[in-house]
Amino acid sequence: MPFAGFNMPINYKTGIINEHKNVRNHSGIFDVSHMGQILIENNESYLHKLEKYIPLQLKKLTKNRSHYSFLLNKDGGVIDDLIISNIDIEDKSYLYIVYNASQKKEDEEIFISCAPNAEKIYKKNCLFAIQGPDSINVLKNIIDIPNNMNFFDILISKYNNNEIIVSRSGYTGEDGFELSIPNESAENLITHLLKNENTMLCGLGSRDSLRLEAGLSLYGHELNEKITPIEAGLSWALDKERLEDENLNGNKVLSDQLKNKLSNKKIGLISTSKSMLRDGMTLFDNNNNEIGKITSGCFSPNLNKSIAIGYIISEFNTDNPIFCEIRKKLELVKINNLPFVKKNYKKNGSIYE
Amino acid sequence: MGAYMSEKKYTKDHEWVSIENEIATIGISNHAQESLGDIVFIELPSVGNSVKAKDEICVVESVKAASDIYAPIDGEIIEVNNNLENDAAIINQDAENEGWIFKMKISNSNQYSELMSEDEYKQFLEQ
Repeated sequence: MPFAGFNMPINYKTGIINEHKNVRNHSGIFDVSHMGQILIENNESYLHKLEKYIPLQLKKLTKNRSHYSFLLNKDGGVIDDLIISNIDIEDKSYLYIVYNASQKKEDEEIFISCAPNAEKIYKKNCLFAIQGPDSINVLKNIIDIPNNMNFFDILISKYNNNEIIVSRSGYTGEDGFELSIPNESAENLITHLLKNENTMLCGLGSRDSLRLEAGLSLYGHELNEKITPIEAGLSWALDKERLEDENLNGNKVLSDQLKNKLSNKKIGLISTSKSMLRDGMTLFDNNNNEIGKITSGCFSPNLNKSIAIGYIISEFNTDNPIFCEIRKKLELVKINNLPFVKKNYKKNGSIYE
Repeated sequence: MGAYMSEKKYTKDHEWVSIENEIATIGISNHAQESLGDIVFIELPSVGNSVKAKDEICVVESVKAASDIYAPIDGEIIEVNNNLENDAAIINQDAENEGWIFKMKISNSNQYSELMSEDEYKQFLEQ
């Protein structure tokens, strides 16, 4: 199927549900080479310009760590969500940013305006995500992974004499790694990894159901230019000191939102029947008043029910029933705390349940 | 299949139909189940409903999308495959036998002869 200018597989041979379960129980590999990857020199003037858009103190980013963040517009709305890391490559310090394929044009305009020599590396590097509890075992005989590498740690390793960027991260709620590897070695690496029976190739379909179960937001669904990170329930990802800084886009809007009540809130929903909840469906209270909309929905293989994320008006009391319009009929849906499935990241040497 | 069973025919909406003693059995084609992917739910039609060809009569939900099933010919719904209620994945496993969806008493057998044969359906899929 066409996705952000790429022809992407929704699933491989065994189907979305099987791929999904293999990631939760063992391991799965996603080719996410369509995503943007850029290297920006760690230079004070570049960082200052980027801080207009990114709500972090970029000069203080810890070396070899990644952070979830955003590019913000003047109103504090989200131009894109991204992962930003501080790494050294050949003794030079860089910010390495991974961003959404669908927002490449908008993002790169900003990156290049802040750092004219920023280097888009996705043309020469593929990006693979290997996800699931067995991923470490699949990977460790092939690539050197230190024992004390935690979730959101990032480092440079080697494969076939090529330098590769390895981060312990992903977007499935499971432990896993993302590997940025030069194109000439990419196929070798995948063939090598797939020799292990515990892993398999997975497509966009299971990537979506895995991130939705993990309660993770997807750009174009839970996030867009009209929604701020605070409205999307992601205020934890904002550096609160930066909200006082006039140099940050939308800083007043954001600090006001932190202090005052929001007009909408993000919720998780679970179907009470076998009907599927899908993006764009409308939510109602028991007096037939529209109270919100679903932004993502899917079948959850772990819960064996349809699940969804959506926004409803804040004044709605969630002790009252919520109905979703499915094919012109109103069906009762239940609020479910996010995430639907607990995250399983490696922290401080152990994996928390 | 017994000799009294008619040849299986196909619609452009990817349903299959076979007829035995004026009773048509209807399901979705193997090609349709492959493109839908994992089927998780089916809203079965109501027994007793009279329907016309091309009427939307039930919905198949897969992990990818919801997809309408149309009546291939005029008639009355007389039976539905209740096994699908608990396990819609039967359609993925055996779309053109065990995965049948409903049966109808048909009122116009000419409509049946106008549907595509298996070979014609194969050609239709290649277009």
